[in-house]
Amino acid sequence: MASRLSFVAVEQRALPASPVTAIFAALLLSLLFALSGCIKESDITLEQRAHQLAGELMCPVCNGQTIDGSSAQIAVDMRLKVRDLLDEGSTNAEVRDYFVLRYGQDILAAPERSGFSLLAWIVPVIIVLGGIGIALLSIKSMRKSGLEAQPVGGISAVANQKQNDLSDYLAQVDRHLSVGSGIKSDEPNESGDAPASEKAKS
Amino acid sequence: MADLGVMALLLGLALSAYSAIGAIIGEKIGMAALVVSARRALYMTTVTAIVASGALINAFVQNDFSIAYVADHSNTLMDRAFVWVAFYAGNEGSLLYILLALSVISAISVWFAPKRLARSMPWTIAILAIIQLFYFGVLAFVASPFELLATVPLEGRGINPLLTPPGMFSHPPLLMGGLIGVTIPFAFVSGALIAGNYGDDWIDVARVSAIITWGVLGTGMLLGAWWAYTILGWGGYWAWDPIENVALMPWLVMTAFIHSIMVQKRRGMFRMWNVALLNIAFVLAQLGMFINRGGPVVSVHSFAASTLGTIFLLFMMVSLVFAFALFLWRMPQLKSDRAMESFVSREASFLINNFLFLAVMGVTLWGVLFPVFSDLARDVSVSVSAPYFDRVNGPVLLGIVVMMGIGPLLPWRKTSARSMKQWFVWPIIVGLITIGILVALGIQRPVAIFSFGVLAFVATAIGEEWWRGTAARHRSGDNWALAWWRLVNGNRPRHGGYIVHISILMLALGIIGTNFYQQRTNGSLALGESLVIDSYRIEYVDTFDSSRPDRIAQWAEMTVYQIDPDDYKQEISFAKAQGSSGFTLKDSTLRPNDELIDTIEPWHGFYIDFNMASVRSGIRSTVVEDLYVIPRDFLADGRVSLAVSINPLAWWLWVSGPFFIIGTMVALWPQAAVERRPARKRLKGESEGEL
Repeated sequence: MASRLSFVAVEQRALPASPVTAIFAALLLSLLFALSGCIKESDITLEQRAHQLAGELMCPVCNGQTIDGSSAQIAVDMRLKVRDLLDEGSTNAEVRDYFVLRYGQDILAAPERSGFSLLAWIVPVIIVLGGIGIALLSIKSMRKSGLEAQPVGGISAVANQKQNDLSDYLAQVDRHLSVGSGIKSDEPNESGDAPASEKAKS
Repeated sequence: MADLGVMALLLGLALSAYSAIGAIIGEKIGMAALVVSARRALYMTTVTAIVASGALINAFVQNDFSIAYVADHSNTLMDRAFVWVAFYAGNEGSLLYILLALSVISAISVWFAPKRLARSMPWTIAILAIIQLFYFGVLAFVASPFELLATVPLEGRGINPLLTPPGMFSHPPLLMGGLIGVTIPFAFVSGALIAGNYGDDWIDVARVSAIITWGVLGTGMLLGAWWAYTILGWGGYWAWDPIENVALMPWLVMTAFIHSIMVQKRRGMFRMWNVALLNIAFVLAQLGMFINRGGPVVSVHSFAASTLGTIFLLFMMVSLVFAFALFLWRMPQLKSDRAMESFVSREASFLINNFLFLAVMGVTLWGVLFPVFSDLARDVSVSVSAPYFDRVNGPVLLGIVVMMGIGPLLPWRKTSARSMKQWFVWPIIVGLITIGILVALGIQRPVAIFSFGVLAFVATAIGEEWWRGTAARHRSGDNWALAWWRLVNGNRPRHGGYIVHISILMLALGIIGTNFYQQRTNGSLALGESLVIDSYRIEYVDTFDSSRPDRIAQWAEMTVYQIDPDDYKQEISFAKAQGSSGFTLKDSTLRPNDELIDTIEPWHGFYIDFNMASVRSGIRSTVVEDLYVIPRDFLADGRVSLAVSINPLAWWLWVSGPFFIIGTMVALWPQAAVERRPARKRLKGESEGEL
């Protein structure tokens, strides 16, 4: 059946090599080239770095605030200390270590990426990839099962049947229209939609 | 007053218990009259909740400090308008407010429920009544706002100063209302499932109530962000604080739901999935209540902290078990009517979008719970805050924005390569050109540049669809504005959705701008001195005292000049060598190209009783960037210590709000009210957007 067009079919009918695709490719390449040039961040001041680091350190006496956001005295002192350490030439990692040594792990606003805390970082990756995987798998299984399974439920089965009939009719309408006026048939419209198609009939 | 309140609560408790039991027994033994009386009892609980709330508000109005809650959250110095805020400023009152909101929306939704849901209404009523029963019970016996004090104080403690800005009149009520509002679609769908009403009768009521709740919750969060930005004075608007996260999570799931419910409506698919989404959203809302009321994590939002954690944890567990037992029981009956036809279809893209929303939710939940987990597993406490969430959620959120451009352009069922090409060529070109221009302009940060390209892609996709639909209608004789208006009117849920998408793009623009390009400098100024950052010179010209009995407060008047960096070459290079982003100037003489552009008035107040500071930042906002001046403190020597930042594109964050609300309302506006176009025009227009 013509309507059982699948992803594979789309791939097979991939865009032909035309001037447009060539221009696209060229644009994309030049962009990648240009982007690679601006990856290094040149003029970040120490103050900027201190501000950034302040956002990564928790204020020990406030509930859930970083020292960047808090006006507690200890936060003020810690901000000055961060700046002092940077002035002395410390790296960001050294600044973080300095505070972890004195206040413990929970001074960091984000868990470390080692040991047990690595879990905090790995699980999100699993969740996201797993989520996308499940989505793709369920689309696949919904496609398969649908080919054999009969529609469920009395009334909806009838409605469904009616709609399928209409969609074939609509496909025909689409084909006719596309002969006449270029773009119309492929518009992202709700072509499988019963109420609208009834309107079209009338 | 206290007696009246207590009596109202007890009566409400009895009524909701009667309503729940009556509805169930009436349905079981087939006694219609009992069900009707259960329904009326549910209406009456609303009356009792209103009376109880009225009693509490009245106690505030009359400064009845014999009631502990009133004495704790107000005083006679307080502006009378804040009586409304004081009502929900603490644990007990906010619970009463939640009950009020729940009972009012329960009554409204039951009143307006469609007739064809009659079979499942008893169950819906029972579920609503049981949830109300829980709140009445907590309020009557565990956390009564009408608790009396043994000795009546002459003066109350006063309202929390952080709750006095105007935004507090709407942010907390909207947020709490949105969270409890998730109950309504949940109750309707669960009721239908128990009754064995598997068809799609519940789609409309679930969709409408879900969108309202979702819109209210979203608006509440935006207002909260706005409040944080203008009042809290830490220079940000979203901190990924646990309390923010627990409001965000149900919102994300509801967002997934209001998309996938359209697939069920149009294509008879995703039934099971939609029920599952509502269940998850409801349980997450309960989790929010639990974390809010004494959960195991620390938060800046400690207004409602209490010892009710266990009770709410228990209630959440019961909700979880109930929702998913019901789901598993009815799962076999929730099959889809038809199959997925292609990976490249709107329904497939909606499913992927759904999983991305759930992924953000899952990751956020993991981040919220990880400190607890770490504590239990190895007795080491860790913090999980903004840097973590930015890193892990940022990419997925960007993925969702990409899907926002792709999904709506795909037709239902399947897509041909030709239509793909037709629809995606322009968005991709514009996206790439945007990236190219930004790179050519020498803008830094590849991730942000790529994100801007994505935004341009999505904006073009929406624009293209509007353009084509409008042009087609324009050809059939309407003028441009009318043609667009009719296009939108022709399919409100869809075009309302586009307006919301545009608001999300604006929000994203602001988020990217402020996250990647913010500049910040610190300094302290005496009168007459100036601070220079980027192309701004801020001069401290005057100060005046606005202290009141409860606070020490001061305004600073500052004039803002636009400068020409060439005038300041020496100072700039000196500051650079020092590692500073800005510098101060001792003398007030202006340089040749300094141009006065604005006056800002940052304010700093210290509330003695609360030992708490509150600030109002001085903000000069433009479309391009905000100059944002936080008065950290007025020092004893007359200087004011400042944190000044430049927040690029922050303006867009707040403009998105009205678009979000308008789009939501357009999507909700009843389709029946659509004006009928003459048949002649319809024939021509039909093959375009509406079909």
